[in-house]
This record gives sequence, structure tokens and C-alpha cells, in this order.
Amino acid sequence: MSGFLLQRLMQAILLLLIVSMIGFAILHLAPGGPLSQFAAGGEMNQEDLDRIIEQLGLNRPLPVQYAEWLWRMLSGDWGLSYRDQQPVLHIIAGHLGPTLELMLSSTLLAMLIGAWIGIIGAVKRYSLFDSIATIGTMIALSIPTFWFGLVVIYVFSVGLGWLPSGNRFTIGDGSFLNRLHHLVGPCIVLALVSTAVWSRYMRSSMLDVINQDFVRTARAKGVPERQILMKHVLRNALLPMITITGLHVPSLLSGALVTETVFTWPGMGRLFLDSISYRDYPVVMGILMFTAVMVLLGSLLADLLYGVADPRIARSGR
Amino acid sequence: MSLDPTLDALPARAEGFWNSRGMRRFRRHKLAVFGAVTIILMTLACVFGPMLLPYSDTFIDIRQRFAPPFSGPHILGTDPLGRDILARLLMAGRISLAVGFCAMVLAMGIGIAVGVAAGYYQGVIGAALMRFVDAMLCFPTIFLLLAISALIQPSVPSIVMLIAMTSWMEVARVVEAQIRSLRTREFAQAAVAMGSSNIRIMVRELLPNAIAPIVVAATLNVAHAILAESYISFLGYGIQPPTPSWGNMLENAQSYLTSAPWLAIIPGAAITLAVTSFNFVGDGLRDALDPRMDLP
Amino acid sequence: MTKISDGSVTSAFPMPAIHRRDMLALGAGGLLAATGLGSARAQTKAAPPPPSKPTGQVVVGLSQEPTAFNPLMPGIEVDETVWMQIFNTMWVADPKGNLMPDLAREIPSEANGGISEGGLAWKVKLRPGVTWHDGTPFTAEDVKYTLELINAPGFKARTRVGHAFVKDIKVTGPLEISWRMEKAYAPYLALLSNTFIVPKHILEKAADPNTAPFNQTPVGTGPFKWGTRTPGDNIQLVANDKFHGKGPYLERAVLKYVPDQTALYAQFRTGQVDLIIGTGIPANFYAEAVKLPGRKVVKIPSASLEMLMPNLEHPVLKDKAVRKALYASLNKQAIIDIIYYGLHIPTESFTPQDSWAYNPNLPKHVYDPALANKILDEAGWKRSGSGTRMKDGVPLTFAVSTTTGAALREQAQQLMMQDWAQIGAKMTINNMPAAVIWGEFYTRSKFESLIVGTAFRTVIDPDPAARFASDAIPAKNGSGANQMQWQNAEVDKLLKDGQTTFDQEKRKAIYWKLQEIAREELPILPIYQYAPVEGYKEGLIGYEPNVNARQNTWNMGSWYWAR
Repeated sequence: MSGFLLQRLMQAILLLLIVSMIGFAILHLAPGGPLSQFAAGGEMNQEDLDRIIEQLGLNRPLPVQYAEWLWRMLSGDWGLSYRDQQPVLHIIAGHLGPTLELMLSSTLLAMLIGAWIGIIGAVKRYSLFDSIATIGTMIALSIPTFWFGLVVIYVFSVGLGWLPSGNRFTIGDGSFLNRLHHLVGPCIVLALVSTAVWSRYMRSSMLDVINQDFVRTARAKGVPERQILMKHVLRNALLPMITITGLHVPSLLSGALVTETVFTWPGMGRLFLDSISYRDYPVVMGILMFTAVMVLLGSLLADLLYGVADPRIARSGR
Repeated sequence: MSLDPTLDALPARAEGFWNSRGMRRFRRHKLAVFGAVTIILMTLACVFGPMLLPYSDTFIDIRQRFAPPFSGPHILGTDPLGRDILARLLMAGRISLAVGFCAMVLAMGIGIAVGVAAGYYQGVIGAALMRFVDAMLCFPTIFLLLAISALIQPSVPSIVMLIAMTSWMEVARVVEAQIRSLRTREFAQAAVAMGSSNIRIMVRELLPNAIAPIVVAATLNVAHAILAESYISFLGYGIQPPTPSWGNMLENAQSYLTSAPWLAIIPGAAITLAVTSFNFVGDGLRDALDPRMDLP
Repeated sequence: MTKISDGSVTSAFPMPAIHRRDMLALGAGGLLAATGLGSARAQTKAAPPPPSKPTGQVVVGLSQEPTAFNPLMPGIEVDETVWMQIFNTMWVADPKGNLMPDLAREIPSEANGGISEGGLAWKVKLRPGVTWHDGTPFTAEDVKYTLELINAPGFKARTRVGHAFVKDIKVTGPLEISWRMEKAYAPYLALLSNTFIVPKHILEKAADPNTAPFNQTPVGTGPFKWGTRTPGDNIQLVANDKFHGKGPYLERAVLKYVPDQTALYAQFRTGQVDLIIGTGIPANFYAEAVKLPGRKVVKIPSASLEMLMPNLEHPVLKDKAVRKALYASLNKQAIIDIIYYGLHIPTESFTPQDSWAYNPNLPKHVYDPALANKILDEAGWKRSGSGTRMKDGVPLTFAVSTTTGAALREQAQQLMMQDWAQIGAKMTINNMPAAVIWGEFYTRSKFESLIVGTAFRTVIDPDPAARFASDAIPAKNGSGANQMQWQNAEVDKLLKDGQTTFDQEKRKAIYWKLQEIAREELPILPIYQYAPVEGYKEGLIGYEPNVNARQNTWNMGSWYWAR
């Protein structure tokens, strides 16, 4: 077990190194730069711009800049944002809360609804419900998330006035109910895709278990169908589902970025978008590394849990 | 790690023998057929439709702006510059479908090349390639799209490149796994023993045997690419005017959501319909070609 | 920059400068006459008196996020919303363009002896009784420190324009300071109206002023003190009860960041934000916004111009005949009336119409495609088979670039494209994200032409030398922002004269001539002068657009709610 963990850890470090190189190269080779925003105003002279480029060290060769960044990163210094001069980790931490709030709540919602749809779909296979669910989940996987968000705003905020059109809470309020009210819209939008994924896998996982010997044995012994379902099938079907959550981290992050944009939610996704637009290299790199760590942790978790759930899975495999 | 979670998910499992396979096939089949028919109809409409319409997609008639659908000579209404939405929708369809298709071809090309090479050589080359794939997969798709979009100037070919560059990794994984297992099979070993060249073994012996998952991945990849195009447009790095695409039609519609909601609803529905159709077909193919197939 | 949807400007970046608003009637409530910062304001009869102590809060909606809080370091316009509350300058410009003393006791001039030796020696007397937010008294040492810090090597000063000429700064008394200029530079008075004074006693203790904690929790002399910041969301400022001027009357001011103009407008409509300033309400919502109950929506001219900026080194656009033909066939009125809902004001000059230096006698633009065709025919641009004109083997084609995601500008571009195609000029669209377009593409003049919104002046001074002087071309190693690469000896001479003349009437003659030349040569094709739309909740008293302030929170200290 520890050997497996060590191997995974080494692999993760290697991956992070490659990730940082790819990210750094893409960012720094891109045209434009962090000073564009100032040049746009027309107030700063070329002299001023050149001076600041030099003060930021952006006129040095790329490998030198990368080496310096890497060295600092390894010593725990993620750098300072160009935009607001704050430590990158501090900035990420400040935006993490809203994103986690959104991700966790929507995952919870998706699990509950997705599992329910999947279970009913598996138990009542080929029923009308199952057919509608199959088509529905496929459509859910195909809708552009931001478009769905816009529709939700149009219907529930603009049209019916039930939900706020954005923000995390009303300034000056911030009570639990107020926050919950603001969370409903983005949570539903982000949960849409996860719900579809969950229901699809829940269904196939359930069917998998239902067909296994011990279930048939139980059935042959005359154990009531309901008890079979609750005691045997569900428990065994749910375990592998946990791994999905781990593997789902990257697409959840992508979805969060889009959802945050639509609902002006002050999370990491918005921060990333703003930082890319302003070419705030240290923050963008910080977020890329941070999400890479999250993704790797997610997949490690999935592997570990998968191993726990089904020890037959060979550890040697990827 | 892709926009399309069907690619992100765990292996779909085979279903048991006592389930009525015929029933399932039939239903799957119906959806797949529906998808295929829709795709064909959409493609035909986009290719030939603009020629049958009395309006050009770029002709500006400012006096006719914001005509709602079904209210006059413009069937689907007009946009903020008074251009016919139906004409734009069809021209945009050409672009979006073409972007989806080209991006898929490119992504498949890269993915297959990397996957075959990694699966065949294994060892250092294979490991290096697959670590690169893994590293690319550590970026959530949209983050990667955004980062790379900083590198390019928005135009149709560069958007195709952008999408391909962010969607080949899954393909590489699928192909690598297939090739790795095929490599150990007798016919491959026999070819090696007969002294066939590496390239020949890869292209003539191994690849044809891995075609089923490739076809499925390709179909799902088109769906992914169409969706990706709309995301890029939404985030402000999309195809530039006056060329219409479903994504940029939708993007331009956002500020008119309250006053002219049809501007957003129509292209959004077109995207959803196209993507759903490709996903249905992909799903059906997966079942038909290899129900036990392992898609990562 | 994020650009997400928006009306007229990209949300990611400031549009290059919509700043300096003008005063305009605020509707039925009548005009609030400005009498300068800190002095009593003339209120209309209807306005109730301000509260006796700071009460209530205001939520200001911004479509960009303020992130830079050291007012001497690089920042964008929206950052000034914060600086104006926390800090003070020696003097500020009121809506009419008059400078009103703030931290200074009077405005230095040749008449009162503050400026002497033809502009080479300056002396300023400062206001007594001003304290920093931490209670430390404000003195001349702070001003000296500020001016020195701007020029300090290694300090990331935003700009050293004008400041670089300052030398021999002497503190001649606790509240008296003098310095000399290396050369006479009339716009410096205006530049100082935008130079916020920072506290010496705090910053001198920092090991590196670039990274001082002060930059995150600024301490100033202004009407509001730093409160808290939730990055990506809002900044809260609290009343400074020791403020040296009138007010503040509000207990708290919240600057709320909503990264999308459409979403911001939606929140204004539902009342989540009390007012929208800065990038404002998108033009396409104007008609709807004026009808909102309980909201006041105002059109405010600004000093920014929307223009087509040609690259004068481009093989086609360097031909004056081409520029004249393009201008003649530019359907300005259609762009303004239809795309911008008639909000903006057509203009012929680079100088804002509200400025004392504005020349109203320039020839009026007439939309005349026939004339455009004639000009091109005469200049030897012949129509070819494809319909695009050619001259000496060069086709009349060029690209127009602007920031991606500026929805209304994209519409204007497509309209231009159609109009210009009719005179045989083939325009293509080459838009880019803000971070790319305003990078070297813009600063090093790599564009063919741009649509930009910007102001051609130096703070509130009409001097456009940084934009027009031939030694201000960055692509030719100059220092300035003459990105169209205009070179004109007569213009250079006029610019120099304008900078060294202190008499306003004489300067006016110089700038009138300059505007005539620019109208004839068309180094830029002016389209309109901005009239952005801002809005506030009824009952908010004291909001007053100011074309000479960079943000309309310039007098937030004297805002309050009618009870």
C-alpha cells in the first residue's frame, strides 16, 4: 500500500512539474502582457511601461523567469499578484470558499437526484421513467452550461422574480437564508451535468450489482425484493460511485468557472478568467498548479477508494 | 476533464445476459437513428438552406432590427443589425459543424498518433508520452481552453486548432490502452516475428483492430468540439464577426436576454440539438460496436 | 477583462478611458452647483439637509474590480474610485474645470507668486489642521516625500510624466513647500490635481514601498477610511469623522464589483446596487432604464472620444485621400443613432467639447459616399474587377481591430464594413482580446487601424503632446503614446508652444490651430464624444457628474440619503 502511494506521489510530482512547464510556456509566449491594461488608458507613457516591464523582470529570458518562479514555488513563495500585489496563495484562499461552497452544494444535490434517478431507472428498467431519464440525461450532458444559466436567470430571476440574478449574498445582509437564496440558481446550473453523470453511472452500477451471484442467491432464497435492494444492491452499487466524485473534479472546476461567470459568483473561476484577461501571470500559474493538485488528489482518491471497494483492481494499472 | 462528461466518466459496464438485449438495442437504436437523422438533416439544411433563402446572413438592414420570430418576412426574426436570423443560423451551422468536424479530425489525428506510439513502444517513449497526456489532463478543460486561447488570434482555423489541442488526450488514452493490449495478441506477435516494420505493424495490423473505440470517440469528440466552440465564444475568445457561429450568435445575444430572448434561445437550442444528436449516435455506436468497451 | 457580455465596452478592461465626466442637468431635481470640495454646496430647495452624523451606506456598482490601492502605483481608472475616497490631492478640478484647493491653501499662479521665473519655480502653501486617518498631522514633508517617491529609482510609479522635471524640493515651513522645474511645463498644474499625497510616516518605514502593507490597507486624509476588502467582490470604506472638509455623511460606502455590464445593470434594476458609475449602463438599456421607477438615469458627456485610429505607416491608410474618403463615407449618424441609441455626440475635434480649448468652428462632417468616390477617383484609386479599388498594385484593403466582446462596437464595425464596401474600400475585422490588443500590437503600432475610445489630453489640461508629437512614437523609440505615428513639423512646434505658455487665451489660439490641422490631415477619424449613462437611486443626494474627475465618486464625501 505504501509502495503504491509512494509511486503515485512520485508520479504526481512529475506531473506537476510538466504541468508547470506547459502552463508557464503557454502564458509567457502569448502575445500581450500584464501592462496592456495600463497602455489602454493612454495615461502612461512608453517610458513608464518599459520601466515597469523591467521592474517586473519580464524582459529576461523565459527559462530564467521559469527557473526563478520554480525556485520560489519550491520554497513556498507563490509570488505576488501583478494586479493587487497580494501573495498568490492568499488570493486563491480568498476565492476558494465561494467555489467550494458552490461545488460541494451542487455535488450533494447531484448525488441525491442523480442517485435517485439512477436507482429508479435500474429497478424499473425500460419503463417510461427510464426512457425519459435516459433521454433527459443525454440532453443535460449536451446543453451549454452557460446557456442553461442564462435561461435560469431569464425564467426565475427576470421572469418570475423568484431568485436573485447573481451575487453570493445581499450586501449588508449575508444571513444564512440570504446566502441560500443566492446559492439556488448557480447550484442548480452546476448540478445539471453532474446529475446526469451520476444517474448514468448509478444506473449501470446498480445493474451490475443486480446481476451478480449473491443478489440472485438472495432472491432465490426468497429475501424480499425491497430488502435485497436496500441491503445488498444499493450498498454495493454506491461504493464505486464515490470514485466518480474524484474523477469528476476537473469537469466540476470547468463548470464552476462558467457558472461563476454567469452568476457573478466571486470564486476561483472568476478569478482565473480575470487573471487571464489581465495577464496576471503569478495568479494564473498559481491557480493552474492549485487545480492540478486538486485534480491529482481527486484521481488518487478515486483510485484508493476504487481499490477499497473492489480489491480485485490491480494496483499496477494506471 | 472534458466538457462532455461522457468522456470523463468511468467505464460503462456490460449489462447482464437476462436483460432483454433486443429491447435495449432497439431503444438505443431509436435514439441513435434519431441522432443520425437529425445530424443529416441539419447538415443538409446548413449546406443548402442559405441558397434557398431570400436573405443573406451578412446583409444589414437596420430598419428591420429586432423583429421577433414568426412576425413577418423573417421567419426566425432579425438580430440587432436587422440581419435574418434563419440565414445566420444556417451559415453559423456551417461554421460550427465544420469547426466541430475539423477539430475532431485534428484531435483524432494527434490522439491516435500519440496513442499508437505510446501503446506500441511503451518503455521510455510510451511513458513520456503518456505522462504528457496525464499532465494535459490535469488542466480542467475550460482552464486549458482559456490559457491556450491567449496564444492565438481568434479565427476559424485557430479555433479549430485550439479545440483540437484541448481534446486529443482522451483519444490518446483510449487508443493507447487498445494498442497496448492488442500488441500482446498473437497476430501482432506474428507480424513482429515476420519482420514487418514498426510503422507497418502499427498502421496495418494494430490500428484496424482498434477502430471501434476510435469511431465512438470520434463521434463524441464532434459533440465536444461544438460545445467547446460555444464556450470559447461565451468567454470572449471566439470566432470574430462578421462570420457567424452558433457560439458567437449566443454570445452576442446575452445583453438582449430580456428585450429579445429569441436571440439567445434559437442558437442555444441549435447547439443543444446538434450536441445531443452526436451524443446519441456515439452512445448507440458504443453499444453496437463493442458493448464491453472501456472508455476512460 | 473578462469579457463576458456587455453593451458598448469590454468588461475586461477599461475601455480605454471613459473618463472625466461632464456636468449635466440631473433632471427635474435641478442642477447642483459645485463649489468645490469641502465647501458648502448650494442645494436646491427640495433637498433636505445632511444628517448630523454619518448615517447609512451606499453601494456603488463597478464593472471592473479595483485592485491597486497605492495611488502612485500602476492602476486603472476604476482604482481611482478608491483613491479619491481615501486620499486627497493638493487641488481638484470642479465640473467647470476650475481648480479648487484641497490640501493646498490656494492654487499657485503667476498672479499670487506661487509660480514664478516663467514657470520654473513653484511654491505651495498647505492647508492647516489636516490629519491622516491614524491621527498623525499632515505636513509639507508628506508632499515632499510623495514627489520624491514618484521619481525614486526602483519604485513602480504609475507615471513620471511632468514629475520628472521636478527638482530641488524644499520644505520651507511645516506647511510650505517649494521646488524648481527643469523646464516650464504648463500641464503640471493639471497633473498635480491627479497626484494623491501619501503619508511619509508610514511609507518611509517600509523596507520596499512597492510591497508595503500600506498598499493593501491604505491610510490617507480623505473622507473615507479603509474598511475591508473581499477580493473579487467588494470593498467597504467607513466614514472618517476627522475629515478636514464637509462630510462625510455616509457611514459606509461599498464598492461592489459585478464583472459584467449587463449583470450590473440587472442588479441596479433590482436595487442590489444603488448606483452605476464608470463604464455605466450599456447604451442598449438606456431607453428601458430611464423608465425605471425609483431610479434616476443620467447621460453624462465625458472627455473621451470614440475614433478610428489609423496607422499612418500603413501602405493604404497613409494616403490622406483614403482617410478623407473613408471619413466622408462613414455613416456617423447611423452609428450614433441606431447602434448607440442617439446617446453620443458627433464631434470633429480631438479636444472635448466642454474644454476651454475646444474649437467649435471646424468643418462639419457630412455623410457623402459620392464625394468619397470622387476623392478616391481623383487620387488614382481605380476600381478593379472585384469591386475593390487599386492603386499602383496596392488594393484598398485594411483591417479594423478592437477589443473582442465589445458588442456594440462590433455592430458599428459591421456597419462600417458595409458602407465602405460601397466606395470600393475593403475593410476586414481583426478583433483581439484586450490583453493582446493593448499590448505591443497597440503600443508598438503593429495594427492597421483601431477603434478606440480615449481622451487626448493630459489629465484635465488640453495638451495632446503625448499623442501627436513626432518624438512620442514608441515604435520609433519615442516616449509617449503617438501610436498612429503622426509626424508633422508644424504640429510639433504648436505642441511645444502650448506646453510653455501659461496664458490661457494664448494657449487657446495654439490649440485651435492644432485642431484645424488635425481636422484637415485626419490622423484620427473622430466618430463621437462619449455620453455614457450613469444611474442612481432616487433619494441619493450629492451625486454630481464631473467631466474633470476621473470617476464620479469624486465628491462621495458629501453624498447622503434623503430621509
